[in-house]
Amino acid sequence: MNETLNLSTPWQKGLHKVRLWSLTNSPWAIHFNSGSCNGCDIELLATLTPRYDLERFGVKLQGSPRHADILICTGPVTRQARDRLLRTYEQMPGPKFVVALGSCGTSGGVFQGCYNIVGEIGNVIPVDAYIPGCPPRPEAMIDGIVKLLGSLK
Amino acid sequence: MQEPTRMQDMEAPLAELTDRFEWRDDNRLDVFITSDRLLPAVEVLFAHHWVYLTAITGFDSPAAEGSEAEGMIELLYHFCSGASILTLRLSLPYSNLVVPSVCHLIPPATLYERELIEMLGVEIPGTTSTDRLLLPDDWPVGVYPMRKTFKGL
Repeated sequence: MNETLNLSTPWQKGLHKVRLWSLTNSPWAIHFNSGSCNGCDIELLATLTPRYDLERFGVKLQGSPRHADILICTGPVTRQARDRLLRTYEQMPGPKFVVALGSCGTSGGVFQGCYNIVGEIGNVIPVDAYIPGCPPRPEAMIDGIVKLLGSLK
Repeated sequence: MQEPTRMQDMEAPLAELTDRFEWRDDNRLDVFITSDRLLPAVEVLFAHHWVYLTAITGFDSPAAEGSEAEGMIELLYHFCSGASILTLRLSLPYSNLVVPSVCHLIPPATLYERELIEMLGVEIPGTTSTDRLLLPDDWPVGVYPMRKTFKGL
């Protein structure tokens, strides 16, 4: 995301620092199911519960893509969901990040080659972090999202 | 609701509509019929209180390679009573893939019938709606994903 920003003057550098600070401390997420079996979705909801407390990293599930920074996407992309996924992605304001959750999101999984499947999420939109697993453990999801945030700093 | 007749006693009323019964198990009876006898057979089942249509299965059985025989699509109407399953089986040749709808007797059957229409290309005149139900909106007309000849778009 630095490529598009001009950081030549001190105030721009300062502004960028503030922007990065706010981004990495309160990444709001939106959850999109593009054809998942619901296993990852349930595990993602478990991750958001107080037991795992993703909110200590400022992560909060957001209802609207227009308010979200991270698109957490589960499942392979079906032909029907492809346009919806693209529309959701395009409604998000930049800088935005995509996390592909689960084996199906990273590779198509067991649905690979099915008649109604386009493929993995990376075939449709650019993905920043892959979290494999079927479904991934909540700890794995937290680790993946924290690593994504760490890579921004 | 009145109890359905015992399956062992169903052979007699169905005898004149079929040329073959097959007992797969103590509680599985297959009744082989032709497509023009489907509605009379369902009416006989209704008269004996066999009203619970659990599923309609359809499958493609193309002719063996090099064989002169015509490919068939087989339909299986499964009626249940307790642990017993009575199945009406009929096969349709590729040249005449038409079967009457059972919707006037069993209105919810339209869901199964629409699935047959979309997935296998069976023609079912009389079903309540023929709108697209399961396939994606951009699916090409005349391509049936559950046919053996389908190898992906």
